[in-house]
Amino acid sequence: MGGAGESHDIMAGRMLTLPHRPFRIAAAVALAVAITVLIALVLWAILAAATEASGTSRVDIPHLLRMTSIQAGLTTILSLAVGTALAWSLNRLRFPGRDLLVGLFASAIVTPGMVVAFGLLAIWGRNGWINQASNALFGVSIGNPAFGLSGILFAHVVLDAAFAARILLARLDAIPTNRLKTGQSLALTAWQRFALIDWPALRGSIPGIGAIIFLLAFTSFPIVLLLGGGPANQTLEVAIYAAVRQDFDLSGAVRLAATQIAVCSVVILIASALAPVPTSFGASASPLWRDSTAARMLQSLVLAIATLGFVAPLLSVLIDGFGSIGRVLAQPTFWWATVTSLAVGSASALLTLVLALALAMGRGATGNKPLRTLLGMPAFAYLAVPAVVLSLGFFLLVRSLGAAPAQAAPFVVIVANSLLALPFAIATLGPPLEAITRGRGKLMRSLGLSGWRQFRLVELPLIGRDLGVMLALAFCFSLGDLGVIALFGTQDLQTLPLMMFRAMGSYRNNDAGAIAAILLIGTVLAFAGLPKLFGKIADAAR
Amino acid sequence: MVKSGSIALAVLLGLFAAPTVAQDAPKLTIYTYDGFAAEWGPGPGLKAGFEAICGGCTVDFIAADSSIGTLRRVQLEGETTEADLIVGLDTAIAGEARATGLFAEHGLDLTGLTLPTEWTDATFVPVDYAHFAFVYDTDTVTTPPKSFEELIALPEDFKIVVQDPRSATPGLGLVLWIAAAYGDRAPEIWAGLKPHILTVTRDWSESYNLFLEGEADMALSYTTSPAYHIVSEDDQTIHAALFEEGHLAQTEVAGMLKSSDQPELARQFLDYLASAEGQKIIPTTNWMFPVTDLGADLDPAFAGLPQPEKTLTVSDEEIAANSQRWIDEMLTAVQ
Repeated sequence: MGGAGESHDIMAGRMLTLPHRPFRIAAAVALAVAITVLIALVLWAILAAATEASGTSRVDIPHLLRMTSIQAGLTTILSLAVGTALAWSLNRLRFPGRDLLVGLFASAIVTPGMVVAFGLLAIWGRNGWINQASNALFGVSIGNPAFGLSGILFAHVVLDAAFAARILLARLDAIPTNRLKTGQSLALTAWQRFALIDWPALRGSIPGIGAIIFLLAFTSFPIVLLLGGGPANQTLEVAIYAAVRQDFDLSGAVRLAATQIAVCSVVILIASALAPVPTSFGASASPLWRDSTAARMLQSLVLAIATLGFVAPLLSVLIDGFGSIGRVLAQPTFWWATVTSLAVGSASALLTLVLALALAMGRGATGNKPLRTLLGMPAFAYLAVPAVVLSLGFFLLVRSLGAAPAQAAPFVVIVANSLLALPFAIATLGPPLEAITRGRGKLMRSLGLSGWRQFRLVELPLIGRDLGVMLALAFCFSLGDLGVIALFGTQDLQTLPLMMFRAMGSYRNNDAGAIAAILLIGTVLAFAGLPKLFGKIADAAR
Repeated sequence: MVKSGSIALAVLLGLFAAPTVAQDAPKLTIYTYDGFAAEWGPGPGLKAGFEAICGGCTVDFIAADSSIGTLRRVQLEGETTEADLIVGLDTAIAGEARATGLFAEHGLDLTGLTLPTEWTDATFVPVDYAHFAFVYDTDTVTTPPKSFEELIALPEDFKIVVQDPRSATPGLGLVLWIAAAYGDRAPEIWAGLKPHILTVTRDWSESYNLFLEGEADMALSYTTSPAYHIVSEDDQTIHAALFEEGHLAQTEVAGMLKSSDQPELARQFLDYLASAEGQKIIPTTNWMFPVTDLGADLDPAFAGLPQPEKTLTVSDEEIAANSQRWIDEMLTAVQ
């Protein structure tokens, strides 16, 4: 079942090579429709609650769109470039503690943005490590580079590039051994190896990851406000928040939300249409093929800089929080919040798994391009719809169903967390699943495999490790989520990030720091452990 | 998560469709913001204190993410809201809350209260107050500015952090404060402040954290903020800078809803809230001044805090008529 040697282009008559899977396609279409209907219901519920069209929102939308697009565009380009370089380096180099480092890199994106931003300031801020060292050694200050557009970009790259690297690394690690052997026997240079072997494996994931990063940056609320230096650098989300909360101009909020959804949809549409069908895929052994010394030095340099740039801020979070951990561990609420976090995280990880598999399998099962594009879109729903609008809409919907919001909160949080993790899950699982049906479709057709047996015998063993990465992502997303829980959390439903946020809002910065450190440790452990665990399970199932 | 499990079951069975559970003890449902209901906030103490004197009632705090969120919630719920009371709105939003017509008059005699200005509101009962102020650390700032104009005249590397008036109540408070102090000159003051503003954050906590981390010299907060550091951390270095123009006070208020099915109990709670018994709980849990004279019961850390000589006020009518424009002027000036 080798993947090498097949055409890199989308084959003509591809339909014939795909196994016939009407159920998979139907399930994905049903799910896509359900998500679309949910979003429409949310907007409708808000419009229905808007008493009068006061229309007081005074927002310079073109200006906001221009500023936000520039910021998000730069973030995307920088993050993809850095992420690719980092994945390339990590794929080649082997050293003790590599798994832990990979886990640490990946943990950035799922850590609450606030924590990462303050970690960055602890390094780069006016009173940060670098300035303190520079002042002590040379008596000069580097000033305050962490604020303004550069600060926003820096924080976003730290968050997003490491995440991109994690997913791209999974793609590189999945290049089949025989392909590598062929390349090695042809004595490809480091550059040729990247262009001929690595890039084809990566490019299937680039549009999806790029879209996620763009949307994250486009809607990034607290970081942009914290590091932006003022209202000149801000996003539509701020205006929407103001419309919902301060002006209580609900129809205006829906208008702004629709604008944001429209812009995001264009990005999603492009990404979804552009994503090429990935090719080779398989299980890979550890590489015995070393690049030239110059290339290896470059890889080590990339890794060293990335480690300093990305890990130091997180390290500062750990160090800062360490002093108060004992005090926090002694609080019964902390343990309740931990249990809640673990339960919500596990539930939403499992739900994400089901949703992502349904969407990705359905998409992989059809060769119809418009349908493929449409099935690629709903995954991004949560990133395109402003959180404050979603929460308001859910609140109204739950009420109109006759349920008490507090009692529905756990379910809303789990569903919302799953939707939040969905694009990341699809970016992880989509490309390998498609590669499998494309590469082995003919074989499965000729063997007459049923859909279940295709999953059990072919797909599951091959994507085991990716399932682990995906579950870790979804679990940690939920574990670190602050946006959803801040709006849906109640007295009885308090997760660790919410507890952290509440502590910070009541002068209890030491407690908040300790919780941030604990969250970070949990995330790194999940990222280091889960992919390995699932890789093992998949190997056992083979 | 047995609890969630049983909730799941209950929701599935539609048991919550009609919440007609018979209640022996009368239940008082209070909407408030996160920090007020938190275990370290005033909520638990007030609940225990009132339940002990109300003769067998239950108090249930339901927390929203912000004080304005509680108001928006009852506006959306209208007559069907389960809330009997809202605690934690502030004076900047009280006028708008009153205008919704959802609140009932409290009917209490509040003449004995000790607030910076006399309390005449027939709808809302004051819960606590503090003046907005910039806080600084005596380790790094030896001579704090004594007015907005002195602050503006400082070198540009003297940085302050403030909050977005559209998302944080202190942020809105600063806009009102500057408008009250400078009237038509407010845009000029904002333009002068601009070079000193390191950033404008969404929430108070982010600004305050930036200040504590040493990223900014001063943060917009309250005159009572130093009390937290004195009481909880034995740290005497955090002080509030008093400005000669005078300070605007933020008074947090509580109000009972017309739709309440327990109006007498709700009124009783408001009375308790403004009494010395209720007020005793507030200072070291919500870090604000009490609205009654607590005498020796007030923590000395509060009693020793310097108070502004002059308290500025902005009327409900002025806020309703001008706050949009003032916010726009601020945003334009600091853009």
